[in-house]
Amino acid sequence: MKRKTASSGSTALQTRLRITLKKKIAFGPGNAKLLRLVDETGSIGKAAPHKTELFMDTKKFPKYLVLLAVALMTLSLPLRAAEITVSAAASLTDSLKKIAANYEKQSGDKITFNFGASSTLARQIEAGAPADIFFSADEAQMNGLAKKSLIDPATRKSILGNSLVVVVPSDSPLQIKSASGLTNASVKQIVLADPKAVPAGVYARAWLEKLQLWPAIEPKVVPTENVRAALAAVASGNVDAGLVYKTDAAISKKVKIACEVPRADGPDISYPMALVKGSPQLEAAKKFLDYLSSKEAGQVFTHFGFLLQK
Amino acid sequence: MTSPEWQIVGFTVWVAALSTLAILPFGLALAWALARGNWPGKSLVETFVTLPLVMPPVATGLILLTAFGKHGLGGLFDFRIVFTWRAVLLALSVMSLPLLVRSARTAFEEVNPRLEQIARTLGAGGWRVFFTITVPLAARGIVGGMLLAFARALGEFGATIMVAGNIQGKTQTISLAIFENVQIGDDAHAYHLLGVSVMLAFIAVWSSEFFLRRKKTT
Amino acid sequence: MSLLLKNVSLPLAHFTLEADFAMQRRVTAVFGPSGAGKTSLLDLIAGLRTPRSAFIQLDDDVLTDTAKKFSVATHRRGIGYVPQDLALFPHLSLRQNLLYGCKSGGTNNSRFTFNHVIEVLEIQPLIARGVTELSGGEKQRVALARALLSSPRLLLLDEPLASLDAPLKTKIIPYLARVRDEFQIPMLCVTHDRHVALALADEIVVLMNGKVMQTGPVSEVFARPANAEVAKFVGVETLQPGTVTSVNEGLATVTVGKVTLTALAPPPASRDVFVCIRGEEVILQRDVAAASSVRNRLPARVLSLSPEDALVRVELDAGFPLFALVTRPACAELALREGETIIALIKAPAIHLVPR
Repeated sequence: MKRKTASSGSTALQTRLRITLKKKIAFGPGNAKLLRLVDETGSIGKAAPHKTELFMDTKKFPKYLVLLAVALMTLSLPLRAAEITVSAAASLTDSLKKIAANYEKQSGDKITFNFGASSTLARQIEAGAPADIFFSADEAQMNGLAKKSLIDPATRKSILGNSLVVVVPSDSPLQIKSASGLTNASVKQIVLADPKAVPAGVYARAWLEKLQLWPAIEPKVVPTENVRAALAAVASGNVDAGLVYKTDAAISKKVKIACEVPRADGPDISYPMALVKGSPQLEAAKKFLDYLSSKEAGQVFTHFGFLLQK
Repeated sequence: MTSPEWQIVGFTVWVAALSTLAILPFGLALAWALARGNWPGKSLVETFVTLPLVMPPVATGLILLTAFGKHGLGGLFDFRIVFTWRAVLLALSVMSLPLLVRSARTAFEEVNPRLEQIARTLGAGGWRVFFTITVPLAARGIVGGMLLAFARALGEFGATIMVAGNIQGKTQTISLAIFENVQIGDDAHAYHLLGVSVMLAFIAVWSSEFFLRRKKTT
Repeated sequence: MSLLLKNVSLPLAHFTLEADFAMQRRVTAVFGPSGAGKTSLLDLIAGLRTPRSAFIQLDDDVLTDTAKKFSVATHRRGIGYVPQDLALFPHLSLRQNLLYGCKSGGTNNSRFTFNHVIEVLEIQPLIARGVTELSGGEKQRVALARALLSSPRLLLLDEPLASLDAPLKTKIIPYLARVRDEFQIPMLCVTHDRHVALALADEIVVLMNGKVMQTGPVSEVFARPANAEVAKFVGVETLQPGTVTSVNEGLATVTVGKVTLTALAPPPASRDVFVCIRGEEVILQRDVAAASSVRNRLPARVLSLSPEDALVRVELDAGFPLFALVTRPACAELALREGETIIALIKAPAIHLVPR
């Protein structure tokens, strides 16, 4: 039964709520204040020392009512934990999943990923997709969003690098020692992430254009939606070769690296990340973003073959 | 509309038309077999023919990729199917076949079997009866079915991108081009192609309805 | 021309069609009520249906032999078929319909030239019309001509008069007769119409419920039906149960109701019989005149008089229900009235006994 009583003897009107159960007060103003303190401090532990403010003699209440109150409090905790959405380049799939698993254990927040081609993800964010963080495989896509004021420039950081490799199916007899090997007649189809916009493909094309081999290679190109799709195409054996990140080649057992693009010859591969403006989970997102720059996260990235850059 | 856009439209229409012609012999034979008589395994075949209509197109595309890729039939010959225009033809054919078979089957079922029987008593063998009696009488339904199949082929996406890829100038159809243009942010081209796509589909379906709807009552 | 059917067995919806007969004469009618399996029989002969078992031979060619799993394809049998629904091809012109079965475009057989057939069946005026614009009778003739033009060695007709109304029926029969006479082609005609059977057939096969009840010359079957069912179907007006009390010198004494009749002796081992008397065979007379050859003279009371075209159907009570068919003038002359008593005369050979 609910009853509202007005207190007496105070200038400000305070509504006090009492829930009575069989003539005993099950939930009164004291508990309410406790819960409010929990709300403010974020844990029961922190609220407890303020017990003396609460004018509560906890020993007087029957045990089951205390348990009920505690149960109510603990049940409400997960509702309070944050859920963040991260739109990240496909090549980051495995590393980010591992990092997120570690983070979730520590913080209690939940990370949901949306992996894909950075270009596609950028289009989605432009169209209003709910993402808290954008982790792109090249600066161009991030610049595009920055120009449209869709990201918070103050939070933008580029911490990762990568290198390109030419891969072939693991049972392929082809020997491609350098870029010019790709122009060979025995290499009939080469798969790239769409060189029009997907970073991995854009990088690959930039490299081949620099070597002036692009016109010879372009007719053989089979574009895919993202770099992992390119990797899968090579793994299936349906194409002769492909250009993917070194980190991707390491993931699949069905491909082998034919040759690596030297860092000096290759394009500058940089992975920027930033907070998306208008994120509803600003605090939590910022926390995760900071965690991504941490030493712990860095170790995972290195383990998967990424290059850390300062 | 630019020249590359017209190339995409032209390619799409051409491959769709080719696929409709390609499925015609097999589709009509299948439709006729399903329309006449009961034979063991008939309901199984019926179900398999309907599958591409109901399954997710990408799933069908995956089946085709596996069957015709390096580890499937494609590896047997030195003849590339996947990621070439032939794969587009394959995808369009498989996806549009059920529509042709269903319409043609209904059309065949509506042909009075007595007419076929009497034709046989007049000395016409199986093929002659089929081409002089059955097909002419079922013509309306068959043409309607072909147009429906053509319309479906025009709009095919899921299976095509799976087995043929989105290679500009080689396998890119209207739907694939729209997809790519949206992804790279080229909305203008996407909308041009969208307009053409709607128009083509409208014409194809409208004329298909014309043939399938008006039935003479004799 | 001979058509032989042996061991024919075809399961149908309500019964199994079984047949075993030979057709020797030129025109045979398969006579029976609707649903007796007649169309199915034609389908078997034409090769349009597969029987459970059958041996069918036309002249010297075996068409179907299920024992040897042998069956000639329909289009090689050379058997023309005019179905009940005529089945004219709606998408072809009349001329194309007619010529559909013609090999080498027109003449195969000097008896069946295009012009001859057109002439006999008077199709010339119709030739410009569309097939769907024809009347029932016209369609019938076109279907017939089409079948003829394929130069068949046997012609099957399924209920040739079924889709026509009464006045048209009488018009078509002459055409059929003409086909029979002009083209000398063997015909197997399925019908439930007595008039067709009587007008066209030399021989009759009575088919009821899938079984052949009787075969023989038309007059024979009509005069002497083999059993009660056939009798009812061929149109015997009086059909009454009776008992043979004695047989003497080829004559049998039969008790029907309270009356005793003299009839020709039935086949042996049948005491319980049906007595069949055709209405036309009953003579009505006013008084019991002088001696006549008639064995059976029965006083009878007139129950009802029903005119039927040129005849009057007289229902009598002669100790058992008896029907007579007399002409109208005769009825008038005798001044027959209901309730009157009159003498009914029936010759002994006109009383047909059928085992019960």
